[in-house]
Order: sequence, then structure tokens, then C-alpha cells
Amino acid sequence: MSEEKYLTFALGKGRLANKTMDLFEKIGITCEEMKDKDSRKLIFVNEDLKLKFFLAKGPDVPTYVEYGAADIGVVGKDTIMEENRRIYEVLDLGYGRCRMCVCGPKSAGELLKHHEMIRVASKYPNIAKDYFYNKKHQTVDIIKLNGSVELGPIVKLADVIVDIVETGSTLKENGLEVLEEICPLSARMIVNQVSMQMEPERIKKLIMELRSHLS
Amino acid sequence: MSKKLVHTPEGVRDIYGEEKAAKTIVERLLHEKITAYGYRDIQTPTFEFFDVFSREVGTTPSRELYKFFDKEGNTLVLRPDFTPSVARCAAKYFMDEDVPIRFCYQGNTFTNTSNLQGKLKEVTQMGAELIGDDSVQADAEMIAMTIEALYHAGLSDFQISIGNLEYFKGICAEAGLDEETELELRECISGKNYFGAEELLERTHVGKKDKELLLKVSDLFGGVQILEEAKKAVSNKRSRHAIERLEKVYQVLCDYRVEKYVSFDLGMLSKYNYYTGIIFKGYTYGVGDAIVKGGRYDHLLTRFGKDAAAIGFVIVVDDLLAAMGRQDVIIAGIEDPVRLYYKESDFKEKLQEARRLRSAGKKVELLHE
Repeated sequence: MSEEKYLTFALGKGRLANKTMDLFEKIGITCEEMKDKDSRKLIFVNEDLKLKFFLAKGPDVPTYVEYGAADIGVVGKDTIMEENRRIYEVLDLGYGRCRMCVCGPKSAGELLKHHEMIRVASKYPNIAKDYFYNKKHQTVDIIKLNGSVELGPIVKLADVIVDIVETGSTLKENGLEVLEEICPLSARMIVNQVSMQMEPERIKKLIMELRSHLS
Repeated sequence: MSKKLVHTPEGVRDIYGEEKAAKTIVERLLHEKITAYGYRDIQTPTFEFFDVFSREVGTTPSRELYKFFDKEGNTLVLRPDFTPSVARCAAKYFMDEDVPIRFCYQGNTFTNTSNLQGKLKEVTQMGAELIGDDSVQADAEMIAMTIEALYHAGLSDFQISIGNLEYFKGICAEAGLDEETELELRECISGKNYFGAEELLERTHVGKKDKELLLKVSDLFGGVQILEEAKKAVSNKRSRHAIERLEKVYQVLCDYRVEKYVSFDLGMLSKYNYYTGIIFKGYTYGVGDAIVKGGRYDHLLTRFGKDAAAIGFVIVVDDLLAAMGRQDVIIAGIEDPVRLYYKESDFKEKLQEARRLRSAGKKVELLHE
């Protein structure tokens, strides 16, 4: 029964997906169809290993996995934290490393030391809320933005922002800096709870192989 | 017409037509199996005092409860699940009862969960509780009954995963973990988050051997063979007892001939505070979460003043139906009523016919031509 079913992977589009396929190749999981850059296919199949792959927008990966549309997903820790879905987070794949930070002009650093109300702009309202309410116990007004969050403090929409910082060069160019670090981030492998129980042997084997390869 | 009038609030919905017919049938099938084991129906109120569902009794986080006040200013809560209510009821009316009592229930439960995640705030649950019996046979009866009920309802591709909290607790006690770390670790391990657990343990001063053992728990799931592996890994009494209990339960489940639906997961550590020993969850394709949750809660009744062991389970009927729908399971017995058309002139004869058919057990709908 278990051998006939496909294991389906949802991968966050872009660099993450490429790195993931590189890693999978090292433990013998390949998908030739995916290497063809001109292909317009949405789903890629490896018939020998009974595997399917598809690419999705990062924030949707946990959703696909939660509902079992994919058994396994690869996505950034930021997305997992923000989406807060009922999934198993089984592996830290180690790449895509960056940090979730509170950033702003140097002068805003003072605002974070007291409990006064400030305005926070972010693409990640849940992470921002959790950090300020539950860790810092500071009352904040959260403004959800969908991109170029750095603009927030510059045009005085917000006092600080909560965003991903990789090298910090965008911040620097705009006169902003990291004020506080919330947590480190990296690519994670997530698994649907039901798949884990229904196909324990196959998924466990995959995790073990990746884990020993990564360490 | 006001648009607001025809819409329902987010998280609740109307169920009608074929879907409702299917739901009624599935509920009847589940109920048939449970009552066949001698369980008697019980009905508890839809809302109760906040304290029945409070943190100490430990079911749903306070912010996910629907709360309101009565005239005297008491805080009331719409039930988020049945177990505490049934326990309260059993403690109140069966205080001096020594023989085991068997209850089953069915009704809607309410949790104020997050928006836009496609989760319902009102769901129908059906479940059973066996109070005053702490035997292996009681554990197995619950699990076997769950399996038979699901199968009877028409589901065939599912797994019941069984764990025992005591195994993990035994290791924690041996390693000397404080309560806060234990809770954090529980979250990592029940999320199968190996590296998260590893990171957490790095920060503590737990010895290397205990650390490895604690981490291993997150990998201990699968077929019955993992029990052997789990047993070999530990030396403390509490954990070994936990495995022996599971082995005995498995033996009885084999006697019930339901072992092919059973697997084990020692990393299953429920967030419900009231579970004490064996816990189990039922999984099937098509829904993101377990459709059955159950376990032993030997101290819950003590909170209401009666010392009695107890075990119970709940089937989330709406999730079960969603799964059956996605697996294209055909639910037998949905029949549309026969339609009889009448004119003013022949109404009497048509009515006679309808009455005859109805008394023969047919469903008849009378319509004006």
C-alpha cells in the first residue's frame, strides 16, 4: 500500500528550491524534469522513487503541507513562525541563514528601552506582535506592509520595522540599523502530521539521511 | 435585503442537503458501535462555569474560549470539549459508585481559534469515557472501539497512533529537568522538532547520555517494533513500565484483531494537561490534523472530588466527514424522499397513498402539481 503512493514535496520558489534540490541530489533524490529551465510544468515527477515536486510561494508552503496537499515542504523559518500552522518542523537545513530583527534609525533605539507605545511596520505582523507583547511586554501598534518595509521609518509611517536581515546593506544605505535581534532564521523541512503517521518508514528514512548528511 | 442577514459569522456554517444527510448517517453508525460496547448517552450543558475548563484542568488556552457573564457576574464558557464536563458530572452524581461507568456523548463544541486558516470554530464531537477502570483491558477497549467505529462509519484507510506520556516523563525525571524546560521540550518533541530539542538541551546542564535519550524520543514512532527499541534505550523504572503497558495493550488489540490499524509514537505528548498515561490519535488522509484524540486522565476526576481512573476519546465528526469526502468514500443510505403530486381534486387519494407508504417506512413528500 505504502509503496504505491507518491510523496509530494512543496518547495518555496527561488533560491531555496535550487539549494534544496542540490541537497537532495547528494542523498540520491533527483528530479531531471526540474532541471529543464524552459519547462512550463507545475508538477515534476520522479517515477522511480515515486516522488512529486512543486514550487509554491513561500508563505503558502506551510498551508499546502498542513492540508496534506504536500507531504513535505521546505520553507524559511520566518514563514513557519508567521503562519503558525499545525505541522511537524523536522529539520534545520542550514542554508538561507539570516536573522529576524527590529530595525530603525539609531535614535529609535531609545524607544525600545521603555514600555511606551510605538508603531511597528512589518511584513510579519504575527512575529512582531509575539515579540513585543510576549517577550518585551511593550504595547505597540502594528502596521502590515507588503514590501520595501525599510520605507516605514524613513517616511515616518512607523518608528521601527521588524524584518529579515541578511547582510544589512539595504538598511545601511537607508540610514537604518539593527536595533535588536529577535531570532536566527534558516531553511526548514516541514512534514504533514498525517503523512508522518501514515508513512513513517519512508519519511523517517529521508530525515535520517538528511540529518546525517548535514551533521 | 440586508447582506448581513444571509451570511454566517466566520468559523460557523450551515450544513444542509446531502451533506447533512451524510453527517446524520455517519453519526448514527458511530453511535451504534459505541453503544454496542455498553456505553450510555449523557448530555451536559452547552455552557458551564469558567473553572470547569480553566488552566488547571487544562484543555484549551483561556484566550481560545468563548466567555461571557451571567447576571451574577460569573464567568461562563461555551464548552471547548466534553471531557471535563463529563468528569464533573460523573464526580457529582456517581460519587459512591465502585463499578466502572461508561458514558458516550455527542454535541457541538466551540473554540475561538484564529481567523482565515480554514478551521471551524464550532465542530461536532462524538466521544466516550470509561470511568473507574485503570486496566489494560480498558485501554484496549477504548482503542478497539475507536477503530471499529471508524471502520463501521465507512473509513478504511486510517491509523491509530498510540503513545504513553509516562515514557517521556520517566526520562525527564531521571535527567532532572525542571518543569519549564520539560514543557518547552515537550513542545519540540511533539512537533518532531529534533534540532529544536537539541538546541534547547544544549542550554541546559543535562548529561550527554540523558540528552541523547531525550532526543531519541522524537524518533520513536512507527510499527510495534519500536517498542522493543524504546525499551532497550531506557533503564529507569517509570519508562520501562510505560513500554510494558503498551506491549500489553497491543496484545489485547491483537485479540480484538485490529492490530493492523495500530502504530506507536512515543513522542506524542499532548498539550492537554489532564492526560496522564496512554494517549492516542487517529489519522487519515485528507485532513491536516488528527480526527480522533484520546487518552487516560487519571487525576481529572480528583479535581471534582472523586478519585477514579478514567480513559476517553473523541471523534471530530466534521473532520471525519471532510476526510471521507476527500477520499471519495461512499456513504450508503442517503435516500431522497418519494415525491407525490396532487391536485385539489385527488388530494384525498394521494394522501391515502402517502400515509400507506409512510407507514411502510418510506419517506414521502406531498407536492401541489
